[in-house]
Amino acid sequence: MEETLDEVVSLDDLQKFERAYNEQLFTDSVTKETQFNYAWCLVRSKYPADIRKGLILLEELFKRDQSEEGKRDYLYYLAVGNARIKDYAKALQFVRAFLHIEPGNSQVQNLETIVKKRMEREGLVGIAVASGFIIAIGAVLGLILAKR
Amino acid sequence: MDDSVLTTLKILIIGESGVGKSSLLMRFVDNEFNADQAITIGVDFKCKKISLNGNTIKLAIWDTAGQERFRTLTPSYYRDAQGAILVYDVTKKESFTKLETWLNELETYSTKSNIVKMVVGNKIDMENREVSRDDGMKFARRHATLFIESSAKTTDGVQCAFEELVQKIIQTPGLWETQEETSKRAAFRASSDDDAQQSSYCCGGYF
Repeated sequence: MEETLDEVVSLDDLQKFERAYNEQLFTDSVTKETQFNYAWCLVRSKYPADIRKGLILLEELFKRDQSEEGKRDYLYYLAVGNARIKDYAKALQFVRAFLHIEPGNSQVQNLETIVKKRMEREGLVGIAVASGFIIAIGAVLGLILAKR
Repeated sequence: MDDSVLTTLKILIIGESGVGKSSLLMRFVDNEFNADQAITIGVDFKCKKISLNGNTIKLAIWDTAGQERFRTLTPSYYRDAQGAILVYDVTKKESFTKLETWLNELETYSTKSNIVKMVVGNKIDMENREVSRDDGMKFARRHATLFIESSAKTTDGVQCAFEELVQKIIQTPGLWETQEETSKRAAFRASSDDDAQQSSYCCGGYF
């Protein structure tokens, strides 16, 4: 199920849609479709910098395109992109905005479940690291005290 | 990963918007049906383990959006798929005629030349049928694909569509196994010889 956040865009696709976007950008005639296609590749990149660029393009689209079906696509991929760069709180905001409009959407409900699971998992990892740190400090203190 | 899993297969679901691709998948994976199934955004993904002739096989199923505006994006998911389910709506003739285009898409973008295809005529619970079972079957025969009719609503044919596709993939040499798995396939063959009659494996699918 977590493939949604793990699958990675192929370099071929990324370059193909990037070229199309840049060509239109050059003549100042970027269509919604071209921008979306490129953003859709970027948010599925393995590089966080690409993902961030994709998120900017999606936010632009969200402001520019008033169509309902456009908006749901942008919201969905804004959630996916933010989750991929581990900004889970923001991802959940977009998920909730989406579910506010379409409460029964199972694709987005699934995304919500995955994001929450990751938050939990990585939250626990954080605690584990912190407790490891405390044990280490304890050990050092113990050594210092023992030397006295 | 998991020792008891024989292999993981990548399956695609494609076809026009609104024919019931996501509903078929939801019925198959979660055994649920939602009459107001939302339009899929881009691509959705679900996983399911099935058991076939005593072997466990993991299915990674990619459910693609049928809408025109995703048409340039979804083919990137065709890569490495071993099986494809092509869905049409038996109450919408146009979704059936468009299958030709979807087959061409597959031909163009799939990386495995021997990918197994299953044509599924969905929504047979509805009364206003526009495509006969016979027409569906002829189409499938002409294009050498598997065929079944289904209803995600009543569950008719859903399980079979996936199982027969998987059965056929497993029987296709060189489609799924790595070298180490070749021996597994031999074992699979031996264990399934009794009931694996190629033409009609479970409940009336055709090849």
